Amino acid sequence: MNTKRKSQIQVITGNAAAAIGAKLVRPDVVAAYPITPQTEIIEQISKFHANGEMDCELITVEGENSAMNAVMAASLAGGRVFTATSSWGLVFMYDAVLATAGARAPVVMVNVNRETPGIIAVSSGQQDMISTRDAGWIFLIAEDCQEVIDLVIQAYRLAEDYDIQVPVMVHYDGFYLSYLSEGVDVPFQEDVDKFLSVLKEQPERVKLTPGGKLGCGSHGILDGYLELRYKHVCAMERSKEKFEQIDGEFQEIFGRSYGGQIEEYRMDDADVVLVGSGSMCGTIKTVIDEKREAGIKVGLLKIRMYRPFPSEVMVKALKGKKAIGVVDRSLNFGFKGGPIYTELKAFETQLDGARLVSFIDGIANTDITTANVAQMIDTTCDLAAGKSVREVTWVSYPEAQKANDSKNGGL
Amino acid sequence: MTQKKGKLTKVLDYFKHDDPFSKGVAFCPGCGLELLIRLIPKILGNDIVITGTPSCSAPVLLGQNKKSWHTLSYFGTLMTGAAANATGLARYYRKAGIDNTVVCFNGDGTAADIGFGNLSGAAERNEPFIYICYDNEGYMNTGIQKSGTTPFGASTTTTPAGSIAKGKNLRRMNLALKMAMHKIPYTATATLSDLDDLAKKLLKAKEAKERGFAFLHVFAPCPTGWGYAPENTVEVCRRAVKSNYFPLWEAVNGKIRMTKTIRKPKPVSNYTELIKKFAHLDEKDLEILQEDIDYEYCMLGGLSVLEAECQLPVSAED
Repeated sequence: MNTKRKSQIQVITGNAAAAIGAKLVRPDVVAAYPITPQTEIIEQISKFHANGEMDCELITVEGENSAMNAVMAASLAGGRVFTATSSWGLVFMYDAVLATAGARAPVVMVNVNRETPGIIAVSSGQQDMISTRDAGWIFLIAEDCQEVIDLVIQAYRLAEDYDIQVPVMVHYDGFYLSYLSEGVDVPFQEDVDKFLSVLKEQPERVKLTPGGKLGCGSHGILDGYLELRYKHVCAMERSKEKFEQIDGEFQEIFGRSYGGQIEEYRMDDADVVLVGSGSMCGTIKTVIDEKREAGIKVGLLKIRMYRPFPSEVMVKALKGKKAIGVVDRSLNFGFKGGPIYTELKAFETQLDGARLVSFIDGIANTDITTANVAQMIDTTCDLAAGKSVREVTWVSYPEAQKANDSKNGGL
Repeated sequence: MTQKKGKLTKVLDYFKHDDPFSKGVAFCPGCGLELLIRLIPKILGNDIVITGTPSCSAPVLLGQNKKSWHTLSYFGTLMTGAAANATGLARYYRKAGIDNTVVCFNGDGTAADIGFGNLSGAAERNEPFIYICYDNEGYMNTGIQKSGTTPFGASTTTTPAGSIAKGKNLRRMNLALKMAMHKIPYTATATLSDLDDLAKKLLKAKEAKERGFAFLHVFAPCPTGWGYAPENTVEVCRRAVKSNYFPLWEAVNGKIRMTKTIRKPKPVSNYTELIKKFAHLDEKDLEILQEDIDYEYCMLGGLSVLEAECQLPVSAED
């Protein structure tokens, strides 16, 4: 529609992209609290606010728990809200994260992925995302800085949609994307306004107003609780198709499309597939191109929407493939394989014989190198060829492969 | 008490609005909290937005499923972030140009213990709403456990008086004084024996929230948890004031002023004798409690004099 207009390419970090995305959606209330590697986002927003470029109430809270509580309440009062966090911050606000989902407050939050379990690791990993996946939020994952800004904008269409009204968390890898500068086509304000104007045409959502004789946060008891939970689950199911639709409308205005819940890369004739998410996908695509030149039919399925789990489109895309390697940047304590691997396992019987193998890599800032990806593809090809392979491989930790299998339950 | 012409002296004169609560609600007989919660909208108006947490107030204030016991706009939330919720509401209303009085209504468990961090944070940021703490000196709703405002010697289910222990072996914190030290526009203590004082302070808080944060600390005893006859709630409050166990004062921008001074304070035993949670204390224990009360009152008096006569400090060289 406006594709004739010159684009405005800026070389910015993932964090700057998130901050500019937040500015473009014109939020009413932003809560800000610093944490590595997210801090740059709230610094940028504070700068926009100080310069009069962002007309919002900026609440410089005293901790992440208050950040989520403040934006939740502002959202239920009728506001458009934004906040951002990472790892321990996400954990510290966890009770409010649950309450926000339960209240169906259309909050949008950026979570810059960082390790969380036990040891204070200031390093990348998706463990914070995995640890909060059952909170009842919609989870979206960005691959690069362009997708960060685009997803932040798209997230509002999803969260605030009258038929959805579920909070959305936009995830991207800390360090790898948060501090990586690359060319980003920054959307024009009028285009973002136009893209979001659809929300104004919808019925107004219920708002908590003074004198409105309305309450929220009642005690949900028995059938009341069941009703709310069931409706929440249904809304999350609806969000799958809605996200596809939003992606399509986004393309019409901005000229970019990502494929909705998943992105398929060289999948059509692929025998072997890697399933990944986030910044690792750029590396995987590069290695796939190399393998393709060597005649290996390999493709990538990139997960963009992690909650709700895009099982239908994944099954459709993976059905009939020979072998699938699932790359997890996190752990699933108590299960041997990674979390996404374990979840995909539930649909194995629908994949027409495709076999699954788990790769754990990239946790605690270990680089998912091209060599690592090549190793994963080779192992998956071995599985496709009927060879015996380990069910779970810790790619960057060869010691795991030397360990006593029988004592460690096959790990 | 005689009523002066044109001047509001009786609490009934402050009731400008309807009682939005149902006639019969699920509070214990003699509940101090109920008296307070019914008073607030009658004085501040029915268009307040009230927030509440899991607590004694919750069954009535938050309702169940789609039903509630009142017609106020309310926001049921968690104890951990109540002041941050009120912040979000008040800030959004300000941004949207909506007139509002947000009342963040919590017990001492939320205000003094688990939610103190965000209460202090909201005060530091001078957020534009009213925070009311109804202080029943412990977690009454969950079965009478100790909180930060539980006084020395009080027997609770987590500080039970036993063959060795004599109830809580720590001093209570002075929550209101802590809040006044944030230099917020308005801080006050109040209780249910002095209702016109309470009413005045509610209106002052409403006026002050136009300039920022207002904090009211309301002493609201609990017959069920403390062990006294339900009809004695107001008498317990009266004796708390008359013994300086709970002095009434206010602070504007941190400057403290006593709103009621007791010429001849009664000994604390006059207060504790009504209440079973102190029944195990002997004279020596009561002396410790009395010393604490005297010290706190002395400090308060000193601060109010200090604030009244405060001058810039002069260094020795000058």
